[in-house]
Amino acid sequence: MEQFLVEMRDIDKSFPGVKALNQVNFSLKPGEVHVLLGENGAGKSTLMKILSGAYEPTNGEITVRGQTYKQLTPKLSQQLGISIIYQELSVISELSVQENIFLGRLLTCNKLGMTVVDKARMNQETEKLLTDIGLKCTPQTRVGYLRISEKQMVEIAKAVAFNADVIIMDEPTSSLTEEEIAQLFGIIRRLKAAGKGIIYISHKLKEIKTIGDRVTVLKDGEYVGTHNVKDVTIDDLVTMMVGRELQSKYHATSHDRATLGEVVLEVSNLTRKDGYVKDINFKLHKGEILGFSGLVASGRTETMEAIYGAVPISSGELRLNGKQLRIRNTYDALKHGIALVTENRRETGFFHNFSIRRNLSLAKQLKDSKGGGLYGLVSGAQERKISAEQVRAMQIKCATIEQSITELSGGNQQKVILGKWLAAGSKVIIFDEPTKGIDVGTKSEIYKLMRMLCEQGVGVIVVSSELPELLAVCDRILVYYEGRINGEYTIDDATEEKLVYSATVPREDA
Amino acid sequence: MDDKNVLLSAKPKPKKTFSDYWSRYSTVIIMVLMVIVFGILEPQAFMTSKNLIKVIEQSAITILLACGEFFAILLGGIDLSVGSTMALSGVVASRLLGFGFSTWAAMFVGILLLGVLVGTINGGLVNLTNLHPFIITLGTQSIFRGLTVILSDSRPVPATGFTQVFGGKLFGVVPIPILVALLVAAILTFFTLKCKAGRNLYAIGGNKQAAWFAGINVKRHTMLAFMISGVCASLAGMVNIARLASAEPAAGTGYETFAIASAIIGGTSFFGGVGMIPKVVLGGLIIGIINNGINMVGLSSYYQQIAMGSLIILAVTLDRFFGTNSRKR
Repeated sequence: MEQFLVEMRDIDKSFPGVKALNQVNFSLKPGEVHVLLGENGAGKSTLMKILSGAYEPTNGEITVRGQTYKQLTPKLSQQLGISIIYQELSVISELSVQENIFLGRLLTCNKLGMTVVDKARMNQETEKLLTDIGLKCTPQTRVGYLRISEKQMVEIAKAVAFNADVIIMDEPTSSLTEEEIAQLFGIIRRLKAAGKGIIYISHKLKEIKTIGDRVTVLKDGEYVGTHNVKDVTIDDLVTMMVGRELQSKYHATSHDRATLGEVVLEVSNLTRKDGYVKDINFKLHKGEILGFSGLVASGRTETMEAIYGAVPISSGELRLNGKQLRIRNTYDALKHGIALVTENRRETGFFHNFSIRRNLSLAKQLKDSKGGGLYGLVSGAQERKISAEQVRAMQIKCATIEQSITELSGGNQQKVILGKWLAAGSKVIIFDEPTKGIDVGTKSEIYKLMRMLCEQGVGVIVVSSELPELLAVCDRILVYYEGRINGEYTIDDATEEKLVYSATVPREDA
Repeated sequence: MDDKNVLLSAKPKPKKTFSDYWSRYSTVIIMVLMVIVFGILEPQAFMTSKNLIKVIEQSAITILLACGEFFAILLGGIDLSVGSTMALSGVVASRLLGFGFSTWAAMFVGILLLGVLVGTINGGLVNLTNLHPFIITLGTQSIFRGLTVILSDSRPVPATGFTQVFGGKLFGVVPIPILVALLVAAILTFFTLKCKAGRNLYAIGGNKQAAWFAGINVKRHTMLAFMISGVCASLAGMVNIARLASAEPAAGTGYETFAIASAIIGGTSFFGGVGMIPKVVLGGLIIGIINNGINMVGLSSYYQQIAMGSLIILAVTLDRFFGTNSRKR
């Protein structure tokens, strides 16, 4: 039998009400890169948290260096030589490279009877580490001056300094350029040669083919299988990652979709000043629901913010029903009838200090105002009329409209936010993760509402991370990859596999 | 649910908690307590109608400053420059009087132009730098004070003309300054309740991000809030020079503490988005009662500062645990 660095057998993990992991097996050999693959929520992080000792497994056992454990603690895991490099780097910018590497366990020596920091020895050891991993900087360099890829190398150096045999990398390339990725891969190969085991978590399937030796796929907490990377194709991986029963459909019947209506919203050459999205072009037609897919931070939400005027753009044209719009801020967007239902209700959606009435009538009041909302009088009668209408139309469950919105459930709060935009007579409504944290019943109500709005001629855009949701609601889906549109599918054509493929593999001509 | 009347009926209160009572009546409770305490300690001198009118008269400046400060705090910010602004407007108006301007022209410049200018500087800097108003107004507080001293040659500037405007009493009883303060409070109450801009300020104070995503032009409203604060402070400056018949370069030093204390004791949440002008007026009166009462009892004015500081901390602490904002955090 081969010697494993780490072996996890039949790992179960239950949280109250959810089974996060079910009978998952995972093993790591010395000198291999073992890729952990799965969609968001598949259980990758949970498994790694068990290995790093942050969670204790409900069932199963972990063998490290020949010793078998029921569970690990963070400290034990570290002593066993397991080191994790998180996606959000945890280096401290204000400290030097060597201080970061030896953080919390500074080398000391005795001088004049006092214990003092042994700078000379730390310096020496850091220099050796830096040469080993090929990072060109001095031990005294402030980490704040380094590039992201270099900071990552400092983290790796830290792991090596800890004598880690097992290094877990959580999406290490998510913010690196091509060149930096090549550099990182060089280091990974060197670590491999030194007999270290690397657990590599990534969504980018092409990378996996380049750097991975074995791959384990998880899906909804279930263990799908482990394969040698050279034996499987990218398509195989995609099929393993997705594939579950579809939800009921809410999109138009096919004869409706055969003829696309006139263009409601046209976006051309949209580029954000901060460069998060580049050169976006698309058309939203009457009678269709347009979906936006892609990984988190791939540019979906970022595009919608730009359309809505919430962030500055460097170029781009917007046409609403053929008329060119000038949108400098969110007020302009609102005035033109564009609405954005944001992803985070609590942070950007509702006003906790306002009643349901005030929340519901805000958009309409603003739309009827002038000068960025400065001029105009509030009409209590109008507010009550709007609120009563929307509460009834949206079936918002509340005692009275004077209740504070914080007393409502998440689903009802979302309905208040939708009702706000409906009351303002919006022409285009952009839904960003519209059903995040919302119960199943309200979900289907919101889907029906979208379809109804669409039939009434309102332009409907849906941004979602949930593929079944997009496939259930949309008529056409655009997929983002790193700030650009990387794929377009009509609903008849779209499958979860294709959407995942476009979200993770760049198009050849791009 | 379907019954319209149910929906439109007033907020039902199934069980009232201390929190509910506190957020509603805290200001009134504190005020009654203060009156009782000083009434017991010094029944002869404090509880006379003459003294009470004096309290109200002395409170006029605090109320004016507090009404402006209210808007800065409503946004979740603060305006530390109100005391300096008050002194600056007084000196500017007095100087203009010296240059041969009529009383009304000098007042117009001193109140409106200067107040708006000061607000534009404060609000503009906050918008431009995105720094917390605390830092910006801490800086402008010092800048405006310096300007005041330069413009006045660090000597009191005589200003007799304003006494005619603000010095009199309506029907021989009600002092004009308190009428001015109440008129301003009434206008601002209308503004906060009925104007869209007022409503939007509450929205921004409650959730700045959400306000931006709801379509509110946050920068313009921030500017407006600081302008209101500047104009109120300048108006307080006019009342002050009318009272003293001269513009002191050191006038209003430390008055921002009075203004902030009034607003907060008046139930304005330091976390933003909650508060109302009439209660701030009561808050200003409470400060007036404390100042006057401590005098009457025969304690030195240093005790006022101790009392004021304690009250600020107490009021914010109670708001933190029992106020409207406590429930969401």
